[in-house]
Amino acid sequence: MIGEGEPKGWRQPELWAKALPSVALQTLFFLAPLLMTVLLTFQETRSFMLQWAWSLKTWSDIFSRPHYWTILWHTLWMSALCVALCVLISLPVAYALATRLQSMSGHVKVLITFAFLTDATLKTFGWVLFLDQKGAANFLLERIGFPPAMIGFLYTDWATLLGMVYNLLAFTIFTIYLSIANIDRSLILAAYDAGASKWRAFWEVTLPLSRPGIWTGSVLVFLLSVGVFLEPKVLGGGKSPMSAELIRQTFETRVNWPLGAALTIVLMVTAVFVILLFNRVYSLRRHGAAA
Amino acid sequence: MEKADTGGMGQDTILDIVDVRKRYGASQALKGVSLRVQRGEFVALVGPSGCGKTTLLKQIAGFEYPDGGRIAIEGQDMAGVPASERPTSMVFQKLALFPHMTIAQNIGFPLKLRARPADEIARKVREMVDLMYLKPEYLDRFPQQLSGGEQQRVALARSMISAPKLLLLDEPLSALDVKLKKILQAELKRLHRSLGVTFVHVTHDLEEAMMLADRICVMRAGEALQVGRPNDIYYRPADSFVAGFIGETNLLDVEVIEVRPDAVRYRAGDITDADGLLPRALAADAIAPGPAKLMVRPELLAMAKNGEPYPSAITAEITETFGKGGAIQFRAVTPGGQPVVVEVPGTSHWPARLGDTVRLGWHKRDIYLLQERA
Repeated sequence: MIGEGEPKGWRQPELWAKALPSVALQTLFFLAPLLMTVLLTFQETRSFMLQWAWSLKTWSDIFSRPHYWTILWHTLWMSALCVALCVLISLPVAYALATRLQSMSGHVKVLITFAFLTDATLKTFGWVLFLDQKGAANFLLERIGFPPAMIGFLYTDWATLLGMVYNLLAFTIFTIYLSIANIDRSLILAAYDAGASKWRAFWEVTLPLSRPGIWTGSVLVFLLSVGVFLEPKVLGGGKSPMSAELIRQTFETRVNWPLGAALTIVLMVTAVFVILLFNRVYSLRRHGAAA
Repeated sequence: MEKADTGGMGQDTILDIVDVRKRYGASQALKGVSLRVQRGEFVALVGPSGCGKTTLLKQIAGFEYPDGGRIAIEGQDMAGVPASERPTSMVFQKLALFPHMTIAQNIGFPLKLRARPADEIARKVREMVDLMYLKPEYLDRFPQQLSGGEQQRVALARSMISAPKLLLLDEPLSALDVKLKKILQAELKRLHRSLGVTFVHVTHDLEEAMMLADRICVMRAGEALQVGRPNDIYYRPADSFVAGFIGETNLLDVEVIEVRPDAVRYRAGDITDADGLLPRALAADAIAPGPAKLMVRPELLAMAKNGEPYPSAITAEITETFGKGGAIQFRAVTPGGQPVVVEVPGTSHWPARLGDTVRLGWHKRDIYLLQERA
């Protein structure tokens, strides 16, 4: 980011001096590890030892085994679902916070922040206790007359998704809330005045104007959900691992660093590609509206 | 002469506001306001900030509902009718153009909501653009790409496209510079005349209200103090607040002794007056015996030369002079210590100098007796 100044700025030595610490930090802590990860993918392992041999073995391995791609595809699907659910749940919550519950919104925001700051591991295991066959949820349902073990979706993808949405929801709530709270109230009144019902005013004015918040929240949640490993392991029971868990296993259990590094690169590139793709669609839509 | 006009009795009342009250928490924003507006009229609501004029406009538009009283548009009670279903249209102070829509989409928005066919919307948008003297190439631009005056025209076009019965204007010109303001004031007048739509215009700018409106409603602290034609408001204000709010004026201390059906007898401290008697029409409706003010506008005072007779006059010493180009203004003080302002047409030869003692006279028809509001 810092490297992309205005062209004329490059000629000023003063700017160079000012940018140097930041450039050095970025290089040291961001670019260098990335470069090392890329270099790692061209090495090999033999009996759990890293061999410094330049080869494309790892890459040919990855591109010839559909297993990795199935997991990647599964990860992307889960992340997309998670983003969609987060946005759908956050919209009414954020709208209510910004419009209906203004007097209480301070308290509600503090509560959300507290819930958000509580360690994700704790909360995820809490869900296990709650959703277990003999857990609190089933106990209560049985008590009021439902058949035993009503809720049996622990250790499925749905439980994983529940955990992901639960842990990441705060991001979309806050970004969308900020967008909605910043909309000039007279714009909504103008929509009513023009003849819009409440729902129509939301659809025509509030929703389009909260798009920046929806977009920012979606990108955040997407990037974070591509990297989850806790939820699929704890709530999904490790039955259908996602990319982050695969990478962890590759590094730790299989001690295959080149493969782990390559899988990391694949995941990163895919995630960035997906975001760029959607960004393109998003800006095309905006331009389409302008034409 | 019409006084304290509350609207004609005619059948063609488009807006009837009766005893409307509105409270926000502890403050009473509207304390029972009544106003009747005729079809095709241009009515201005004026008053200092916080007087309730914008609150009243919100009740008419339907953004808020009054706590008491009645608002009827074309004879139909508006109680419980939301803004989206009222035949009114508002031009907002901050214009409220939708930033994510083009100019064409902004102007056509009310018709889109009414599910009109696209070609009809496009045609009507064109008509509005022509009416507002907007350039057709602006249609594809976004509001923030236009200048303040152009945005103003877009806001007017959007409000007018659905042919509202009542156009409500909430100080839409207050953010513009003086020159642009003048142009758009003329534009509003032209629109009002050519469209025949009823305008209710909120402003704190008295001059603007005098220029544009057929009738003015002066408000203060949630009350309508006076409703009347601009000239009546200016020369026959209901009380000393209205008199002081609208332009510069002289309010001289007098005492009303007797109110008769045909005349009012008063005694004037500093004023020499032949008989101390005024026709009843030259005193406020609510005048009662007791301390009162004699109002005379600075431009209606004449500087009397020695020996020239005026039926009533006052002596004062000039303390300040201002040349205003077209006019000369003198500030003077009477022996009793009352300030007086006189304005005479500008001449190269000044009729008086600083320190001169002059006699200021007036014709009886040019003064008005009024009191403070109880």
